[in-house]
Amino acid sequence: MAENETRKNALKFSTQRNIFTYTILLIGVFISLVPFVWMISTSLMNLGEALGTAFFPSEFHFENYAEAWRRADFTEYFVNSILITLITLVGQLTFSILAAYAFARMEFPGRDLIFSIMLSTMFIPAMVFTIPNFLTVTWLGRIGPIRWINNWPSLTIPFMGSIFSIFMLKQFFGQVPDELYDAAQMDGAGHLRFLVQVVLPLSKAPLMVILVLSFIGTWNALAWPMLVTNTPDWRPISVGLMSFVTEAGQEINLTMAGAFITILPILIIYFFTQKQFTESIARSGLKG
Amino acid sequence: MEKLSFLKRIFTGRSGRKIKEVITAYAFIAPATILIFIFGIFPVGFALYVSLHKWRIKKGDFIHLQNYVNAIGNLAYVVIFFLGILSLVGMYLLIRKIIKMARENEEKPWITILPGVLFAGTAVALLRWFYSALPEVLAIADKLRGLERSQELFMQLLGEALRAETVLPAWRTFIWLFLASLVVGGLVYWFWRNRRTMEYQAYFALIFLALGAGIGLIYYTFERVSAAYAAAFESGTDPGIWPQFISISAGVILLILAWVLWQRAPKGESKGGFFLHILAAAALLVGAWLLIGEIPTIVASGDEDLWEGLKVTVFFSVGTVPFQLAIGLFLAVLLFQKVPGSNIFRILYFIPYVTPGIASAAVFQQMFSNRQSAPVNQFLSFLGMEPQQWLFEPRGIVTLLGESLGVNVPAWAAGPSLALMVIIIHNIWTYVGYDTVIYLAGLGNISKEMTDSAEVDGANRWQVFRYIIFPLLSPTTYFLSLIAIIGTFKAFNTIWIFRSNLALGTTDTFSLTIFVEFFEKLRYGYASALAFILFGIIIFLSYINNKTQGSKVFYG
Repeated sequence: MAENETRKNALKFSTQRNIFTYTILLIGVFISLVPFVWMISTSLMNLGEALGTAFFPSEFHFENYAEAWRRADFTEYFVNSILITLITLVGQLTFSILAAYAFARMEFPGRDLIFSIMLSTMFIPAMVFTIPNFLTVTWLGRIGPIRWINNWPSLTIPFMGSIFSIFMLKQFFGQVPDELYDAAQMDGAGHLRFLVQVVLPLSKAPLMVILVLSFIGTWNALAWPMLVTNTPDWRPISVGLMSFVTEAGQEINLTMAGAFITILPILIIYFFTQKQFTESIARSGLKG
Repeated sequence: MEKLSFLKRIFTGRSGRKIKEVITAYAFIAPATILIFIFGIFPVGFALYVSLHKWRIKKGDFIHLQNYVNAIGNLAYVVIFFLGILSLVGMYLLIRKIIKMARENEEKPWITILPGVLFAGTAVALLRWFYSALPEVLAIADKLRGLERSQELFMQLLGEALRAETVLPAWRTFIWLFLASLVVGGLVYWFWRNRRTMEYQAYFALIFLALGAGIGLIYYTFERVSAAYAAAFESGTDPGIWPQFISISAGVILLILAWVLWQRAPKGESKGGFFLHILAAAALLVGAWLLIGEIPTIVASGDEDLWEGLKVTVFFSVGTVPFQLAIGLFLAVLLFQKVPGSNIFRILYFIPYVTPGIASAAVFQQMFSNRQSAPVNQFLSFLGMEPQQWLFEPRGIVTLLGESLGVNVPAWAAGPSLALMVIIIHNIWTYVGYDTVIYLAGLGNISKEMTDSAEVDGANRWQVFRYIIFPLLSPTTYFLSLIAIIGTFKAFNTIWIFRSNLALGTTDTFSLTIFVEFFEKLRYGYASALAFILFGIIIFLSYINNKTQGSKVFYG
């Protein structure tokens, strides 16, 4: 009897606690998401409503998206951003995988020294690099066969060597058991084949994270693209959105549509990869 | 044919396989390493070079430390001097380490001093060559102007640049020193036959480099200060560097002394410990008094924009980091109770972090618009408060609060501007989810037994959190606070979007100040000097964070 009573009390207590917990958690969700809700609902209003006090549109003006897309020239910026991201990713992934494999699983003189020198550059603020890299890129464009300013090389090549990606992959590659390599060697496979056929299929999670993080990084970059582009030819979406926000000014239904267009690709990618994503962030974050 | 089989033999033998492996490894790391060198390591040296010049788009005169003096006044000399002292301290620590190593292994490594000196000399010679070749190589682009570009022409110009009369001798010195150190190092290795020869050589090379850097920097400081005095003497003014120099140095030394005494003082109620604590407190007070007394002079002689930027950055950091961490920890603890659907909460909390900052800043800009009908102003009217100018408001929040209460707040207590508050709120909003996820991972690493046994012993939930969970989370807290503080010093994108002329620069953090100097005022040399000052501040903060928090971190 008495035992039953206490259990009942405990249950009651825990329901109260759960209500409290859920209330707080839901307030958190509300604050996290209310800007998105407001953005979407404003993007569907006509201008008068958008500047007024309404929170929901009286009727949905989906044509705002077409208008914003046309006015901001998003087609060009999207194509630019996707091209920049693809070129950067292909280069960065290839180079980082090779380097991380060598640093994690091969013996060579100067390995730790080279790695620690490269690692130390992670703590240098980007502003230190920006000015000399801008001068370097200008110089390269003036002496070489291809243009660098206003062209893809300046937007992609400097980001292909990423110590962050190498570091993250190295942590993971180091955990692949040695027996696998011995077995592969028995079968006559060298390092490259072992890397491509055994290690890479095992490393889908960190590769996915690097992919998504680099994608976000490229999609978000602002200062550097502003410096090295002065025509829309190769300008990425971030710069495009910024100039559209300035240009459209008070037409906030259009700017909100533009903002949503910019966010959407990232959100889609995030929802498809969120499991690996949060887990790897948590794991690598703690080690970093 | 014979040659081929010889090559084959090299790569098939036991040591041959090793050589092959090493070559493969270098081939694997080559692309990434070369790129990181060109765009991540070389720029540091290049930026230093730029910062020592008058440089507006085009390179101008070499002006020594002038850019740094323009930025932080005479403090620049003091900092360079202390960098020299630090090098000497580093040298002392290295010598102690090498003696300890030699004693432990009962070896006499003194013969490796010789190759050590040569390696140090080689490094200096390489640096000298780098700085003499840089301007010549940069000038190639100007020589090519208007000419038909071709590879041969470029190679020819490059050859000319590297053979210039300032460059070639530096190159020759480097090569001779390099060969000599290889030969001597090899001979020592051959004769001494010790596993640790290379290690000793490297340590000795570092010792001599630190010695050279220390003496060089100290000498350079005195030379520059004398030059400044000479220049001032001609124009009949007194630069007043020496008094400032002495009081700042004395202040810093007293602070270090206070720290050391406090650490060394025996704990408990012994008489000696009490005396040492009193002494440390006295040193702290006098040192702090000396330094605080110098602040007005330094601020007055430095660049106003820089101090303003630094102040804004400090407001930004202090307004962001503690709140972001506290909210993140709170949500993580709630989520960790295995409430149903906690996974969905985690996914939703993480969305602001993955959202492109530029887009979410554009949304916040409109939500915090100065229009009366904008959501946040509407909310204020709902609460019965006045609508605000938000991003267009340069006045501090304390000033605004005082005005609404009818109190006059002095200018120094104005606090962060309301415009900066919007940026702070946006920053907290962005990073809370990230902190939550990382805290959740940290909570997952705490063993259930420990919290359970505490509960059995009668600890309530708050006590379990305060005395068990929170201390065990200290590595996570340390990591997150370091990332967050450095992040606020590096932040650029969103602040650039939020920036408005009406806020009168009250939202320009240090990074923004640098970018404006570079991008709008085109002062490349000065902006580079500012970037190095930012770099120095970040290193200093990481060090302090490590010293104060790192010692308390509990790595269970």
